[in-house]
Amino acid sequence: MTPVDLQELTAMALEEIARADSLERLDEVRLRYLGRRDGLVTLAGQRLRKLAPEERAAFGQEFNRASGQLRSAMEARQRQLAAGEEEQREDGEWVDMSHPFRGPGQGHSHPVAGLIREIEDIFAFLGYQSVAGPELEDDQHNFQLLNMPPEHPARDSHDTFYLSPPAGGWLYRTHTSPVQMRAMLASPPPLRIIVPGKVARRDNPDPTHTPVFHQVEGLCVDRGVTLGDLKGTLEYAIRALFGRERRVRLRASFFPYTEPSLEADVACAVCQGAGCRTCLQKGWIEILGSGMVHPEVLRNGGVDPESYSGFAFGMGPDRIAVLRYGLSDLRDLYENDLRLLECF
Amino acid sequence: MRVSHEWLSEMVDLEGVEPARAAELLTLSGTEVEKVTAYGVGLDQVVVGEVFGLRRVEGSDHLFLAHVAIPGQEPREVICGADNLFVGALVPWARPGTRLPIGVEIGRKRLRGIWSEGMLCAPDELGLGSEHDGVLILSPDDAEAGMPLDRVYPADHLYELEVLSNRADCLSHWGVARELSALLSRALRNPDVSRPARSGSGPMVRVTVDSSADCPVYLAEVLTGLGNTPAPAFVRRRLAAIGQRSLGGIVDVANYVMFEVGQPLHTFDLSRLPASEKELEVGVRRGRQGESIPCLDGVRRDLDPETLVITVGDAPQAVAGLIGGEASAVGADTSQVLLEAANFNWARLRSTSRRLRLRTEASSRFERQLSPHLARAGADRFIHLAVRHLGATLGPGAAGGVPLTPASAIRCDPGRISSILGMELSSEAVASPLRRLQFEVQEDGAEMLVTPSPYRTDVTTAVDLAEEVGRIIGYQEVPGTLPPIRQAPPLEALAEPVAHLASTTCRAAGFSEALSLSLVSGEREGLAPRLIGDLAHLELANPLSAQLGSLRQGLLQGLLQSAHHNQARGQDRVRLFEQGAVFWGRGQERPEEPWMVALLDLADDSTEDGVSRLRHLMALIASLSNVGGGGAVEFRPVTWPALHRARAAEVWAGAELRGIVGEVAQPVADAFDVRGRLEVAELRLDGWLKPGGRPGHAAPLPRTPALVLDLSVAVPSRALLGPALRAVSALGLPWLEQVTPIDEYLGDQLGPGLKGWTLRLRLRHPERTLTTAEGDAARQAVLRVLELEVGAKAR
Repeated sequence: MTPVDLQELTAMALEEIARADSLERLDEVRLRYLGRRDGLVTLAGQRLRKLAPEERAAFGQEFNRASGQLRSAMEARQRQLAAGEEEQREDGEWVDMSHPFRGPGQGHSHPVAGLIREIEDIFAFLGYQSVAGPELEDDQHNFQLLNMPPEHPARDSHDTFYLSPPAGGWLYRTHTSPVQMRAMLASPPPLRIIVPGKVARRDNPDPTHTPVFHQVEGLCVDRGVTLGDLKGTLEYAIRALFGRERRVRLRASFFPYTEPSLEADVACAVCQGAGCRTCLQKGWIEILGSGMVHPEVLRNGGVDPESYSGFAFGMGPDRIAVLRYGLSDLRDLYENDLRLLECF
Repeated sequence: MRVSHEWLSEMVDLEGVEPARAAELLTLSGTEVEKVTAYGVGLDQVVVGEVFGLRRVEGSDHLFLAHVAIPGQEPREVICGADNLFVGALVPWARPGTRLPIGVEIGRKRLRGIWSEGMLCAPDELGLGSEHDGVLILSPDDAEAGMPLDRVYPADHLYELEVLSNRADCLSHWGVARELSALLSRALRNPDVSRPARSGSGPMVRVTVDSSADCPVYLAEVLTGLGNTPAPAFVRRRLAAIGQRSLGGIVDVANYVMFEVGQPLHTFDLSRLPASEKELEVGVRRGRQGESIPCLDGVRRDLDPETLVITVGDAPQAVAGLIGGEASAVGADTSQVLLEAANFNWARLRSTSRRLRLRTEASSRFERQLSPHLARAGADRFIHLAVRHLGATLGPGAAGGVPLTPASAIRCDPGRISSILGMELSSEAVASPLRRLQFEVQEDGAEMLVTPSPYRTDVTTAVDLAEEVGRIIGYQEVPGTLPPIRQAPPLEALAEPVAHLASTTCRAAGFSEALSLSLVSGEREGLAPRLIGDLAHLELANPLSAQLGSLRQGLLQGLLQSAHHNQARGQDRVRLFEQGAVFWGRGQERPEEPWMVALLDLADDSTEDGVSRLRHLMALIASLSNVGGGGAVEFRPVTWPALHRARAAEVWAGAELRGIVGEVAQPVADAFDVRGRLEVAELRLDGWLKPGGRPGHAAPLPRTPALVLDLSVAVPSRALLGPALRAVSALGLPWLEQVTPIDEYLGDQLGPGLKGWTLRLRLRHPERTLTTAEGDAARQAVLRVLELEVGAKAR
């Protein structure tokens, strides 16, 4: 065996490596040429010792080069074949990745609940704590402490559901304002709360009424709180809710539990104030009632109106949701139709 | 209420004030103008014509040919479809070339071979309301042939007002004029109330009021010499403009005064009252049991001691403030009247109005706390108009009655008003709007003494004055500010329930958020599975319907209905949750309001079987408890009404029952008309989960390796894993960190009636590596417990 023989042997081996089409065949090639006991190249190497010292150097060099070349060719081919086999295995596990998925996914928010959370976030930024109160109330908290004695004309718009005996002393609150009372009675000022919750009025269901609906009440009581503060707070909140550009106006109103009383309107989004069916040709849409807490109401809540003042406001997230999302019927909010819920 | 711009302009100068501007000022100051409509605008081209001849058009069953003329011209032929024409009638005539206010251009038209010279108009065609019953017939008192129609109907605009419930003073033109006068800073011109000298004709009236609380003022006057005279043209035209029908001179003038000054009046036909020629005994008292009175509208109404009545010689003649009696009604032949201008207790009137189910223009004013001071103005205005236009003579007058207490002054500090409004206002800036509102303002050192207008019953305190100043200046002038933040400690007592936490967790698990009315049908509610047992429903005393007659005790009825709703609309997978208060009666005590969450998973296809959906639901319950700091939950199999008898469990956390989970029984699903398997859960969250979530706690991570052992056993096929695992935990093995079921074998290789469990035990010593022997000992201990607990055998 001469260095030239070795070169020929190597060339044959390289060819067989290239031809091996599976890891198994490649292993056979490896054994034939590089097998530890009788590989052809291995055997050539064993002859090295028998060579004369002067020949040994040249042959040795050639042997190292050849075996190195074969090893790396073998490794390369092995990597290549292994990758191919992994590909084949994965191909066998083919799935239709374009198949529409069905899985739990993320559930959806209810538009009203989502809006309430948004309002809570807006007011949390202004330092308001979200609190809750009972939905069943007594006449005292729902009306009398809020300056609405029996026969008060303002009770007209609060058509009330009363409970049957033996629970006849209770009614379904007609607004969230009784929680103002409970908050003032529970803690001395300063107070800064909002109260989301359900209320009920005896209105037959129609596109603009449901007998149960939601309100979000707000109350701020502290020293030196002014109507300007109410205005600034409402403007901030309404713009946060309806967008910076939306025009807001405050107009005088009447509620027995606030004095002065105001209502806030936003420009109608449909007609931008020109007048259309949505806003009943007014150009404005009423979205909340508010005012400076009446001194008598503060007193009923154990707050001294000489030292403290406050403002309160209340809005209807159901109506706001209908306006904001372009719905046409309040009753749709309580059907829980997934086609609607999936929009949120 | 409808208000006429033209009528208002008699009391306040509205020159140059566009109706839209006036409407905006009124709206922003609290009297909302819902609509402004033109009334009789652009009628200068229409003339008043006289009908000289009238005949049917040949060959037509509904067309008439009228000969219409104006002075100095030959009659022209006009074809008309209305059947209310007559010879001599004065009618609005739109001649060819006229453009009507509704936008129609009139031309010569050929109909049935005849040239029609224009059109005779109905009120709606002239923009005078919506009536279209026939041609508008003009009274010769108001119009004469040849006159342009705008002399009869001057251009006007009508405001549709929504008056606030505390502002009875605005339920009149005078009241609205007072507002505009203040808002525009223009002088107010009060209606003419100059009264003539009294005459001796007619009886003297003696008034007896039983209680001044029921009736703070009762003015009565006798007027005689009235003929069957129609009210003057301006009265009839203005009443027509605001939509009031003409009912004869006396009634028209009384109505006119009510809409002008705001005081309801009543007129009795004196000749029909039981009175002598000298004296008339008028009384205001409560009704008596058994009394009744036939009213103007033909209905006989029963009286009772809660009802106020007006009597003459003790016989009821009217239900006070509400409706007059039929017997003394004014008619065409009335020549002398008893005029009543009074004020009645608003609360009493409201309850009477409710009891009798009757609301009139008069009662709707009284029940909103009309000022008693208006009675004098109302009486005087009626007398003025009746004497001047109806030929009346004022009688000798009345005796009795109680003097009114004048409005009392309010002491106020202008600085306080500034600080309520949040704007710097000088004394003058505070006083000016109040003076413009006809309030008297006297400076008293740094303070002010303010006497409100006697017609305003809603202004009694300093904050009321702040509102008046604010709304007249205009809230757009108040600078918006934010109050400095001075946060109070959280209100623990009213802390919000765990709404956010539960919502986020349920939505993350694929459930969508539902909201239902809290009102349910008690009957169906009984069908729905729920956490509580046999509590009676809380019923509404005045429900809208039986369907919405009870308060919900649980949330599942609502969800089952929503499941049906969605399935009926083609959804084959419905996953919903709802949270909210439910209501449990406690007799007379305050009802309990637990805060609950319910979940529902409905599938009507084969994508996932009921068991895996049920497991998913249970995993979600465990997550809820975990995020809300509710501790480990435990599911205890149970049979529960309305749930599948082999697929229901109670949810326990610690020693408390917190809810139920399971599959809805088929008959219940059928009752709600739902197909497929319904997996549901209902949990009470208050008192269990904390709004703040789980308090964070942690320990250093272990540094020693764990010893992990798998243990396979055969157990009876209905063995319960939950109690078995609890028993292993209860064993208290040292170093046992966790036991996890990793496999359940349900095949038949283990023999009949058996199934296999494989449990993975993880043991760890805090300081060293555990030995195999220690592991084996633990495995044996666990096996023994399982043997005792569920009859397990190693496999």
